[in-house]
Amino acid sequence: MALAGCLLLPFVEFRPNRIASGVPEGFAVAGLSGWLLVAAAALALISAFLPARSRGPALLGTGAATAILLLSALGSAAERLQEGAPVIARVSIGSGAWLAAIGAITVWFAGSRATGSVRVNRAVSVIALLAGLAVMLWGSVGELSLAKEYAVQSRRFWMLVRQHLVLSGAGLGAGMLIGVPLGVLASRSRVVRDFGLGVVSVIQTIPSMAMLGLLIAPLAALGLTAIGTTPAVIALALYALLPIMRNTFVGLAGVDPATIDAGRGMGMGRLQLLFRVEVPLALPLVIEGVRAAAVLVIGIAAVTAFIGAGGLGILVFQGWGQQADDLTLLGAVPMVVLAVFADAAMRMLRRLAVSPGIEEGGLS
Amino acid sequence: MIALEDVTKRYDSLTAVDGVSFEVPSGEVCVLIGPSGCGKTTTLRMINRLIEPTSGRIVIDGRDVMGIRPEELRRHIGYVIQSVGLFPHLTVAENVATVPKLLGWERSRYSPRVLELLEIVGLDADEYAKKYPRQLSGGQAQRVGVARALAADPPLLLMDEPFGAVDPLTRERLQAEFARIQRELGKTVVFVTHDVDEAIRLADRIALMRDGRLEQYDTPEALLDHPASKFVHDFMGADRALKRLGRARVADVMTSDVLSTTDGTGGVSRESCKEARFFYLTDDEGTLEGWVDCHVLDAGTSPEEAGTLVDWREAAVQPDTTLKEALSRMLGLGFRNVAVVDERGRLLGEVSLSAIERTMAEGDAHIANLPEGEILGVPPEEGVPPEARAQLDEGVQPEEGEVTT
Repeated sequence: MALAGCLLLPFVEFRPNRIASGVPEGFAVAGLSGWLLVAAAALALISAFLPARSRGPALLGTGAATAILLLSALGSAAERLQEGAPVIARVSIGSGAWLAAIGAITVWFAGSRATGSVRVNRAVSVIALLAGLAVMLWGSVGELSLAKEYAVQSRRFWMLVRQHLVLSGAGLGAGMLIGVPLGVLASRSRVVRDFGLGVVSVIQTIPSMAMLGLLIAPLAALGLTAIGTTPAVIALALYALLPIMRNTFVGLAGVDPATIDAGRGMGMGRLQLLFRVEVPLALPLVIEGVRAAAVLVIGIAAVTAFIGAGGLGILVFQGWGQQADDLTLLGAVPMVVLAVFADAAMRMLRRLAVSPGIEEGGLS
Repeated sequence: MIALEDVTKRYDSLTAVDGVSFEVPSGEVCVLIGPSGCGKTTTLRMINRLIEPTSGRIVIDGRDVMGIRPEELRRHIGYVIQSVGLFPHLTVAENVATVPKLLGWERSRYSPRVLELLEIVGLDADEYAKKYPRQLSGGQAQRVGVARALAADPPLLLMDEPFGAVDPLTRERLQAEFARIQRELGKTVVFVTHDVDEAIRLADRIALMRDGRLEQYDTPEALLDHPASKFVHDFMGADRALKRLGRARVADVMTSDVLSTTDGTGGVSRESCKEARFFYLTDDEGTLEGWVDCHVLDAGTSPEEAGTLVDWREAAVQPDTTLKEALSRMLGLGFRNVAVVDERGRLLGEVSLSAIERTMAEGDAHIANLPEGEILGVPPEEGVPPEARAQLDEGVQPEEGEVTT
């Protein structure tokens, strides 16, 4: 897929100015690094057909290499295209490069799955991260339109990132504060289980824009406006509720009754049983719920820009408004990065917090 | 001492336990037994208030359990269940330390206790303390379960079919270990099982229940010899003589007066055999390696040909083995004698059929006088392990049997 993306689709688009439509260019415009990229992608394709034992490391290596070279090639392409062109000319990332990026990351992940060794995966990630940083610093990535948008917006950009994090974090935090206890109650009481989970599921189906509208009336009743940070956090918390509550409930319900009987029989009180036995055993699922909620909330937080809550959504909507695709990207790409980081952080938390006695592969 | 006084448990229309009264003197093992649904587990769980009785009193050392906070009560009663219920997220050591921690012990007090307990239940503390439950076999897990129940040194132990979920061989070993631990620690134990042989082997007293009522409460001998009803008689089984053998251990009747050599078959001659049937061969550590059959020597065969090499795990018994199992082993091997070894295979002595017969004669069952058919033709009753039955059914002729191991 990465290979096809490089070869067939426009690699970058050259535009005379920020909002004009672009002229597609192929990968060859990037020169040497473009060809290297194609070579790496081709190797990745070959790796997929290697025998099982060497397939993992091969996919891992070629996937990561393709990703790095892609970054480098984009920079080179931008630099070459803009040589001699007016200052306001822009080079945007083309559909072929996007496809190549998706392909490279897919190959990379497939490789890390197949390898299955935490140490090797971590090493590859670190190397790739360093190489990526190096390309960013010394390469010509800065010549891309996306980077130019960032250069113009940099101070505002980081403020919006921070806003986005605060919104998502607050929404997620509130969702946990309500969702986990609700999950515990659902495992104790039939009423909470049937009614609570039902209501929370219905909330989940409300489209996000509709939710922001629906919140107007109840907030007004409380003397609050439906504009700004507070309603945004409320909406996000409501969305975070379902995965957290449901997973907490399922995790607790899945604890072996014999384990609970043993705990009671040894003289544990209700709370001791909950905190020393049930919660630790349900923890993998609870964290999994929080992880799902985090990714969900980071996405939905973009929409809350509509009600003046700020966040990266502002860049996306401004970009659309100005038909400046790269400004939209400047909002969208960091959201993806945030979601990926949140996901990784929750996985790490799970490794740290969950007993190796109940984790698949925790006792290697 | 623990006393149940007219204890009843009713669920809506169903009476699970109906006016049960009995007393367990301190340091005795009381086995509750009966068909499934007879109320034995309910009775057990009422003792530590996991189930509250509808009426009646349960008194432990003079205190009515209803007057003690349930958590407090349970922390002073060891509790072992069939499914073990180890906490999978905690290590073996942490599992065992559960009750001491609940009681607020300092680490300096419970850490050495945990290691001591693992040794008591026969697990190497260094190897197992840091393991997680899913790294254990069923038998090992149940040992940890017993260690966990004993951790705070409770005077009373409740065990609900503790050995029901393991394979027969492991069960036999766990029973022997339990009997040994009980001889050392002298706990008051209430033990639920549906296995008659297990009850006979471990119990000081058996409480046989049926439909929530106590049918008979007495020593295993009394239940076997003087059943209070046809139900008791049928439940205990027809092979009473054989069942009694399940109560005695090899250690009670074995002799350590045996011939052995570390020089292989070369160390054996016809003269050196004297009256004995077997001349045992061991290695320098005393581990049983085989024997020379002196009867075969008498027939003029050379010691090399008369010698048999064996694996002690299959061809010998241990002091804790029941006489029933020892007899079964003799029948399986086809001899009137079987070697006794310790847990590492070192030769301790031997046990003979005649010694077992004498034990039987001391009771009122005369196994030696019974025609062969009556010993061997045991009806396939519930409770006789299938493998023992299979061996009995083979109808081995002891004198001419071949060693197959």
